[in-house]
Amino acid sequence: MIPTQYYLLLSAAVFCIGIFGVLTRRNALIFLMSVELILNAANINLVAFSFQYGNLSGQVFALFAMGLAAAEVAVGLGIVLVLYRNFSDIDVTEATTMRW
Amino acid sequence: MTAFDYAPAIALLPFVSFLVALFGGQYLPKKGALAGIAATAGSLVLSAWVALTVAGGQTYNEALYTFTAGLETFDLHLGILIDPLTALMLLIVSFIALLVHVFSLGYMNDEGETGLPRYYAGLGLFTASMLGFVYADNILMAFMFFELVGLCSYLLIGFNFREAGPPSAAKKAFLVTRFGDYFFLIGVVGIFVTFAGATQTPGLFAGEGSFPVVAEHAIVDGATEGLNTFGFEPQTWFTILGLLVLGGVMGKSAQFPLHTWLPDAMEGPTPVSALIHAATMVAAGVYLVARMYGFYALTPTTLAVIALVGGFTALFAATMGVVKQELKQVLAYSTISQYGYMMLALGSGGYIAAVFHLTTHAVFKALLFLGAGAVIIAMHHEENMWEMGGLKDKMPVTYYTFLAGSLALAGIVPFAGFWSKDEVLYEALIHGFGTEGGLGTVFLVAYAMGLLAVFFTGFYTFRMVYLTFHGEARTETAKKPHGVRWNVKGPLAVLGILATTIGFVNLAPVKKLTGLEVDFLHKWLLGAEGSGWEALLTGYEHYEHVLHDGPAHVLVGEPLGATGTLIASALLSLGLAVAGVLAARSLYKVPEPVEHTDKLGSIKTLLMHNYYQDEYQVWLATGFTYPLSRAADKFDQGVIDGVVNGISSVSLFSGSRVRRLQTGVVTNYALFITIALVVLLVVFGLTGGWF
Repeated sequence: MIPTQYYLLLSAAVFCIGIFGVLTRRNALIFLMSVELILNAANINLVAFSFQYGNLSGQVFALFAMGLAAAEVAVGLGIVLVLYRNFSDIDVTEATTMRW
Repeated sequence: MTAFDYAPAIALLPFVSFLVALFGGQYLPKKGALAGIAATAGSLVLSAWVALTVAGGQTYNEALYTFTAGLETFDLHLGILIDPLTALMLLIVSFIALLVHVFSLGYMNDEGETGLPRYYAGLGLFTASMLGFVYADNILMAFMFFELVGLCSYLLIGFNFREAGPPSAAKKAFLVTRFGDYFFLIGVVGIFVTFAGATQTPGLFAGEGSFPVVAEHAIVDGATEGLNTFGFEPQTWFTILGLLVLGGVMGKSAQFPLHTWLPDAMEGPTPVSALIHAATMVAAGVYLVARMYGFYALTPTTLAVIALVGGFTALFAATMGVVKQELKQVLAYSTISQYGYMMLALGSGGYIAAVFHLTTHAVFKALLFLGAGAVIIAMHHEENMWEMGGLKDKMPVTYYTFLAGSLALAGIVPFAGFWSKDEVLYEALIHGFGTEGGLGTVFLVAYAMGLLAVFFTGFYTFRMVYLTFHGEARTETAKKPHGVRWNVKGPLAVLGILATTIGFVNLAPVKKLTGLEVDFLHKWLLGAEGSGWEALLTGYEHYEHVLHDGPAHVLVGEPLGATGTLIASALLSLGLAVAGVLAARSLYKVPEPVEHTDKLGSIKTLLMHNYYQDEYQVWLATGFTYPLSRAADKFDQGVIDGVVNGISSVSLFSGSRVRRLQTGVVTNYALFITIALVVLLVVFGLTGGWF
């Protein structure tokens, strides 16, 4: 049996990769993927603790998070499309016209 | 129906003529003059009817329209008070207004002036507001109409608003009288606040429960329950209230030091000057003191102030009249001086003398102004007396009526002014000798000033007459004067006859000497025996009682015996007047008069500049009030507004800096979130003891 700490380390690693992607990349699609990584890091955490304590709530919660992530991708891709239509590019740092 | 049911129409008729002239004057044959004449004639007839009813022993004191009803306290209302004093004043005002309207036909219409509907609308409103003021039954209504009178004088003085002088004179008249009215307003509010607890009708002038009567109970009987005197003794507080109201009186009646507006007001058309000086505006101040005399008679200090201001103004203005070169300027100073006499009489307990002088002065001053108007028409609007001369033979009607008015003004027996001025001085003299202490001394000082002014009055009056009408014509215009028509001569003739005879309504000295019952005005102001007037407590009998038994203790003293004092006083004032006239005659009744006033040297300069009154008042405005208001403005703009503006600019500035966080770049937001998360973790770690 693999100790729970390993899962947590994995989760932390995935989370850090996701954060790194969000902070450094400008391509909206990669942005979206990085957000997915962050979400899945949380999922790993949930499942790991659920397994640790023998409580299924965490796993159910992870399923919901996946469903949510699917919906989020749909909305996210829509935003990316609009972004492209308005700025002819999907660089997230270009879309600054709504600030003050 | 009695006359009193129609009393509101006395003021409403001229108001209607105001509306007619304002909105329809353009289309009427005489531009609204006829409406004004009809309205004032109607007012005169109604006033006469009212006066007859009052003579029959009836009086009237009713609220007509309540505009603010109080819950368990006083109401604010418009109402009408008619007693003999009111009836007399209504007659004077509507009579003078009628004559001024008729005269205006000659002075304005025949001279081809423009803007006549505006002029007649102004006259109508002026008359209406003065009549409303005269029969106001409470002091708030009196104040409202007092202000309207001031507004109308502003409109009429500034009638020729396209020239340089009139608008500035109108503004000056308005501002100076407003300055006095400011104190009056505080006084009105003070009276309501003071008496509201003690009576249901604190603003009324007459009747049980009116403020003079409540004040009398408080001082004489010590019934101070419910009075709010702000911690002062009742007498001190009533003195303060009386002096506050007196501020308005001094502004309107042109008493020193608020007299400066009146000579400038000569910029208005001459009939307007006649109306202002004889019956409205200037008369309003003195009338107000007479109206609430029961209040003033209670406080010796206010009496002393009124007498001193009056006596001083009489002398002060008379000396300035001596050097003036323009006809209307001389008359203006004589008006200030004569109203000084009325104040002197009121202050020294000569209530009847004051009302008498108000009556005779209304007649002869209206006459003199209308006469001056006739001269000005004849002279093609030249007003300098040195440009005139020799008009006597060319305009006899004007000359003889003007002479009658001048004799009345100078106080030569038997013209009207002699009887009233003599009574004013006599009352001041006997009360001065009779009253104990400082008040008596004040009366005597005021008397001395008034007496001295008699000489100057005689002098400047006849200097004016001789320069204008006698000698040789000094200019081409004076050689060929312009003729005047019936509408100028008619009013002059009526007033000329009255100025000669109206003194006979109150021959008090004759009565004292011979026992003949010829003091009709005295009897009129005493009221008929058993009349409804006694309940109003505004009769002379009541005032006499207040003066004698109240704190003022005004008593009669006759150092030379009753007859001796009377004759001495009359001879003294008549002698001085005649001396003045003779001095003027010897100096100016020559074919080629010269300016003898040049011999006065620096005094003439002082007098020509009106004792630098205007200069110091202008200095007060520009050298004192202006910097003070500048400083106040600085404080307001700098400190008060500065704090408010400071707060908003700090918010604006910080907002403009803080908004830089919102870059619109999503990466930055993510960075903030991450940093915040890390910080949060560290904080939790530190406080939670992980490390």
